Amino acid sequence: MRTFLFKRLPSALAVLVAASFTVFLMLRLIPGDPATTLAGPDASPATIAAIRERLGLDAPLLSQYVHWLGQVLAGDLGPSYAIGGQVSELIGDGLAATVQLTVASLLLVVVLAVPTALYAVSGRRRALAGALRALTTGALAVPPFVTGVVLVLVFAVGLGLLPAGGHASLFDAPDLAVQYLALPALCLALPSAAILARYLQDGLERALGEDYVRTATALGVPRRRILWRHALPNALPSAVTVLGLQIGQLIAGAVVVERIFAWPGLGQLIEQGVSRRDYPVVQDLLLLVVAGYVAVQLLTDLLYSWLDPRVRWE
Amino acid sequence: MTTISFPLAAGSRSRNRYVAGLRTWRGVTGLVLVGTVALAGLLAPWLTDADPDAQGPQALAAPSGDHPLGTDDIGRDLLSRVLHGILTDLSIILTAVPAGALIGAALALLAGTSRAADLVVQRLFDLVLSFPGLILGLAVTAILGPGRWPVVIIIALAEVPYFGRQLRAGVLVQREREYALAARVGGAGRARVLLRHVLPNAVDPLIVQGAVALSVGVFIEGALSFLGLGVRPPEPTLGSLISGSVAYLDTDPVLAAAPLAVTTALVLGFTLLAEALNRGARS
Repeated sequence: MRTFLFKRLPSALAVLVAASFTVFLMLRLIPGDPATTLAGPDASPATIAAIRERLGLDAPLLSQYVHWLGQVLAGDLGPSYAIGGQVSELIGDGLAATVQLTVASLLLVVVLAVPTALYAVSGRRRALAGALRALTTGALAVPPFVTGVVLVLVFAVGLGLLPAGGHASLFDAPDLAVQYLALPALCLALPSAAILARYLQDGLERALGEDYVRTATALGVPRRRILWRHALPNALPSAVTVLGLQIGQLIAGAVVVERIFAWPGLGQLIEQGVSRRDYPVVQDLLLLVVAGYVAVQLLTDLLYSWLDPRVRWE
Repeated sequence: MTTISFPLAAGSRSRNRYVAGLRTWRGVTGLVLVGTVALAGLLAPWLTDADPDAQGPQALAAPSGDHPLGTDDIGRDLLSRVLHGILTDLSIILTAVPAGALIGAALALLAGTSRAADLVVQRLFDLVLSFPGLILGLAVTAILGPGRWPVVIIIALAEVPYFGRQLRAGVLVQREREYALAARVGGAGRARVLLRHVLPNAVDPLIVQGAVALSVGVFIEGALSFLGLGVRPPEPTLGSLISGSVAYLDTDPVLAAAPLAVTTALVLGFTLLAEALNRGARS
């Protein structure tokens, strides 16, 4: 744990600082000055200069960067340029919707992948296991926007079971909210579930080939117990790593899935920010996503060493 | 002129394994899928007379003799748009993926020259990978605006660390092999050992990565089109055709069907090829 704090944490912080500086510099490279855009087409140079001063755009780059980091750490991100409102509030609203979507799909990923992998190695009905394997290849190969459109075609247009898109508050109308959540969460979950199922199945197969499994079988331990008590705990650590990496993919995938299903999350916000050149929104969002991604990987590493005591932070 | 070559036995054997991988059902299916779609795109000017961007009087027309797949929401011939969309996607990924591979390989070779260079290059890869996939694309479009070249740059950039890391791993292994040591003992300079001896033996795994990268390229192009940040209209792409069809899913599902089928076939084809090559290499 101590080595973890002294080695892994500083390197994660270094990645964050580098990423934040990259994001900051990248957005300064954008052709076109936000002050000019904000002032409108007929503004006088004096107005533009006044706006530049108000936004702090006339300060040296490095002090702008430090000022921004200070704002981020204080949690007060200031006003947005083009979308309107406070950036913190915009991000807060979007974050709530996106977190709902990602958590729901994360649950779906586990619920879909773990039984699939366990079933595939259980040795029963080989044809079904083969079919599941083909299905995971398919789910992996097809882009989320294709899956999304197909899901809408089948469940919303064809069967009329679920709404094609939209969003309801989980607190005001829980049953409606779940209906709206179902298709986007499934669409987002499928590729990651396929990847997790694959890795878990490989891990289980490898564990089942180990000596301790042979010994347990020779001692007459039932197959089911071997699978759950011996193979699964040994296959879990690498599966957790894969799951951690997939969370990053879920965040990125949410951007597209939110668009297909008209889900009012961070994806829509980032897209608005990019197309309307709202620096602060894009800058803060990118930092937030990278920070979230780095944090998830840190947690994954911690969890890994907890699940597999052989891993020590040397 | 006679060329005598013998020391590359290891390399040529591994290349035979890739060919053997392609001769499995996965490889053949992948080749057929990719080949059919690519051929349809390349033969677009002969398969249809219709201009993909020309608007006609009939919007959302049903399939007919004039328009084999019908027309879209502003009366453009759907077949022609799908075929030309294939062409756009192919031209994008076939520019972006080799570019990403070359830059990644160059960086990996640079990393092979010294410890300091290795450290810098590795951190560079880490930095790019700390932006999950599409998020990197959004950052790039924020700077460059939407368009064809930003899409190419995003796909190339996203692939650089994958190609780079793979080649770096190969270089590290091959550099310690006896033939490389022998070459160094024989008086070859560092650069010569790296480029003439190590590189040819470390480059093979990039073939598999290439097939994966092509399918990822189609993913990224489509996702950016969905966000309105891809290739500018009216030029058709597979992604923009699918995203354009979403508004008409309940009334005209045909509009979505054709680009969905083509995109799935193409991506599935690349995935099967990657898997076939990978299995071949490991057998």
